[in-house]
Amino acid sequence: MASAEPARVGDVQLSRFETLPWRRIILVFLAVTITVVVALGAYQTLTLDAGEGGLSTSAWRDFTVLGIAQGSILAMIALGYSLVYGILRMINFAHGEVFMAGAFGSFFFANAYAQSGFLNDNVVVAMLIVTVVAIAISAGTAMLLERVAYRPLRNAPRLVPLITAVGASLFLQNTFRGFFGPQPRGFPKPTVLEGRLDLLGVPVAKTQVLVFVVAVVAMIALELFVSRTKTGRAMRAVAEDREIASLMGIDVDRVIVITFAIGGVLAGIAGVLFSLTFEQVQFTMGFRPGIAAFTAAVLGGIGSIGGAALGGFVIGLLQAIGPALFLTGFGIPSPFSLRDAFVFIVLVLVLVFRPGGLLGSGEAEKV
Amino acid sequence: MALGGAVRAGSIAGIVTIYLALVGLVERFDELNLIGTEVTFARLALIAAPLVVGLALARTRVVGGESSTPSVREATISGAIAGATAGVVVAIAVVFADAFGIERIGSVFQNADAGLLAFLTFDQPAAVAAVIHVVIAAAAGAAAGAYRRSPAAIRKPVGAAVATTLALGFLQRIVPISLDQLNVERDWLYSKRTGGLTWIGAIVVAAVAAALSVAKARGGGRLRDRLRAPSVLGDDDRSELFGRAIPWRALAFGVGFLLVLTVPYIVGSVVSEVLGTVMVFALLGLGLNIVVGYAGLLDLGYVFFFAVGAYATALLTGATLNTFTGSAEPVIGASLNFYLAIPIVVAIAAGAGLMIGAPVLRLRGDYLALVTLGLGEVVTVLIASPWLVPLVGGPNGMRNVPDAAIAGFGFRDPQHFFYLALAFLLLAVFISRRLISSRIGRAWTAMREDEQIADAMGVATTRYKLLAFAMGGAIGSLGGALFAVKIGSLTPASFQVIVSIQVLGLVILGGIGSLPGVIVGSLVLVGLPGLLREFEEYRFLAYGAALVAVMILRPQGLVPNVRRSRELQDEEQMQDAWARQKSEEEFEEPPVEPTGGELRA
Repeated sequence: MASAEPARVGDVQLSRFETLPWRRIILVFLAVTITVVVALGAYQTLTLDAGEGGLSTSAWRDFTVLGIAQGSILAMIALGYSLVYGILRMINFAHGEVFMAGAFGSFFFANAYAQSGFLNDNVVVAMLIVTVVAIAISAGTAMLLERVAYRPLRNAPRLVPLITAVGASLFLQNTFRGFFGPQPRGFPKPTVLEGRLDLLGVPVAKTQVLVFVVAVVAMIALELFVSRTKTGRAMRAVAEDREIASLMGIDVDRVIVITFAIGGVLAGIAGVLFSLTFEQVQFTMGFRPGIAAFTAAVLGGIGSIGGAALGGFVIGLLQAIGPALFLTGFGIPSPFSLRDAFVFIVLVLVLVFRPGGLLGSGEAEKV
Repeated sequence: MALGGAVRAGSIAGIVTIYLALVGLVERFDELNLIGTEVTFARLALIAAPLVVGLALARTRVVGGESSTPSVREATISGAIAGATAGVVVAIAVVFADAFGIERIGSVFQNADAGLLAFLTFDQPAAVAAVIHVVIAAAAGAAAGAYRRSPAAIRKPVGAAVATTLALGFLQRIVPISLDQLNVERDWLYSKRTGGLTWIGAIVVAAVAAALSVAKARGGGRLRDRLRAPSVLGDDDRSELFGRAIPWRALAFGVGFLLVLTVPYIVGSVVSEVLGTVMVFALLGLGLNIVVGYAGLLDLGYVFFFAVGAYATALLTGATLNTFTGSAEPVIGASLNFYLAIPIVVAIAAGAGLMIGAPVLRLRGDYLALVTLGLGEVVTVLIASPWLVPLVGGPNGMRNVPDAAIAGFGFRDPQHFFYLALAFLLLAVFISRRLISSRIGRAWTAMREDEQIADAMGVATTRYKLLAFAMGGAIGSLGGALFAVKIGSLTPASFQVIVSIQVLGLVILGGIGSLPGVIVGSLVLVGLPGLLREFEEYRFLAYGAALVAVMILRPQGLVPNVRRSRELQDEEQMQDAWARQKSEEEFEEPPVEPTGGELRA
């Protein structure tokens, strides 16, 4: 149904632009203003002296490293949004909670292992078990979500599953709050991961190296899975056209469940990496990274694996560097409190100027 | 197939019961007595899932176009099997918890403690408790199955009696206070010791409810007909007064309105306070209803307009900033009268609606939802940021929002505030009603049904979307203004993303596009948690469950939009009713999903 209209809609939009040039003028004006403000802010920040709040080179370097590490986590969450969107044309609003579920579930194992000493004695085994638990819980949550909240509404109007997704997100958050309490819990970190490594003269925290390596491996594995395996081919077929895929003998329901499960697996791994980086879990931890990851998915071009990865890194860097770079120059106090506002503004701008995303076609194919 | 279905449904019910126990909804409410000390909320929660499953299994099924209705006997048996299965699942969990050690489970699940185990084992050995669980759950399932398939002459009075008694039990914070206000002796009905209904009171209430239900079935339909269709019955000589037809409907409205006016003094100050919050949220709901219900745009950042309304009102009427040393003047501000400030606030909100709507409204629904969510978050972040301290006080917020007094009659008192809120609410209802019946409303309806066809038919969709955004924002800002006046001080904590979701929840629960639905939705979602303080912690859990359950089980909401069916001619109305009845028979409730259980519990 949904895929029957794109070409015509594009034409209509084009004509709208031609008849209403003022809209384009406003957009161009907006773009120019933002560019000027950003450039001015960056220039002023970089020319500040250290005494006036200017930042040293090493601070910028640390921000960049942090941004890449955060970006790799965001990229993995973003893949979950992207995969589901590609197949169901639906934003799985509760995906941030899938991520939270894995992190929270793994916390109890990590905590128990830390207390018994197993975590530091057998780091690799312990962390593998913790990760497998996180994966199992996240994937289980994602599949349960699909079964309970989305499958009964497969053919409902588009807004309906989105509303249940919001509800499911709230429900999951408060379930975890009810089960495990509202207070944040400290996530134990193996001593092996303390400290920094020296990479080409740049000191990088060991967790950040781990985060980056694991994320890249996971994304390559996903790419191979989708492009090489039979199930991956089925997923691509369903994403292309669900009805025809089912006529070709593909069990669409099964493919959808697998897609949710894969999103859950990635979210679970991301949950463990996130907990190791920030050393804390709480029932609300899924919301902000979830939104940031969705922004990343849209920025990169929703539905594409490479796009989600690229978007994740861009958003991660923007979160880490952006506020300091663009806002300090204007003398705005504590710019990092505006970090999330930054992400949302980027989301709005991407959707306005390039709804297809960086790697997308440039036009909003789903509009 | 029937057996397998019952066992499967029963297992889900058992898991739901365990879920309820672990999430804390069972043990913590052992103290919440509904009737005597015997019927408590916790005990009800224990049998809630088997009851729901029993009811669901007794539904009419459609298999291959053939509908089959289980007999009383079949419904009872399948309910009993499902209930027993649920009981077995719970019993296994209880025996396991007893053997494994509840403290060890408690180190992960905060609610699993000795108290919960004591409650779940009924202070008996685990093996005995297991048997009790199976028996109770089986009885609950069987009773529910039998109830649903019993003849209407039995089912309706029983249902009315049970529902009324439980409702009065839950309303133990309101009804006794109201009775006290009216100087009615109430100790026979509500016990001061247990807090809930007394057994005598419960029996009287149940008997009265059952009697009323029977009386209604015998001939109560006539009064309703008069209220609904005065013109049809106009030539009936009994309804004539001095040769003119009695305007039953207008009379009913008049009496109802007078009753509403006396509400704050009947229910007392505490409940009036809650009602004030309910009305603020109802106002927000009416605004969001225009955006979501009429124009079909999902706005997840509605808190934006709430915040704009509240802070604009505060700044325009001369509120001050909270600082550590006392208060300071904001950098921009005026000291207008509240009623002079309101039009400006509305204009600001509408303008803000246009501004944020313009770039994003060409996006399709789900993107729009995320972008509005983002913009709502931007506002939350901005008002709490140190950057805007000189304007809105940052994390400390603002205070000294002046009262909206008229000629010395202040509205800060909760009982007075009710009237101010009522006036705003009536205004918003009026605007909504006129809008949806207008050309604009028809354009919105067309757009909501199918945007591309509406576009092709010459509806300027972007323009009408913008209009909906601005109108909805303007009404939402009224809610913010009222909130500022009610509380007198503002902090960023009141303007979190959860407000957007609460408002969306009440619009959807009540029925998208339905004005009475918004009122009912806010009474249920804002009023009930406000009155049952014990549930404070679980209200958002219930919200989430309600959003999912309503969308799956009853997408039209509690009070569906009836405007159209009222406009229909009698004949069509009958046809409609016939069709509705028909469809209800065919598509009775789909199977209960695990999330559905909490809502009813």
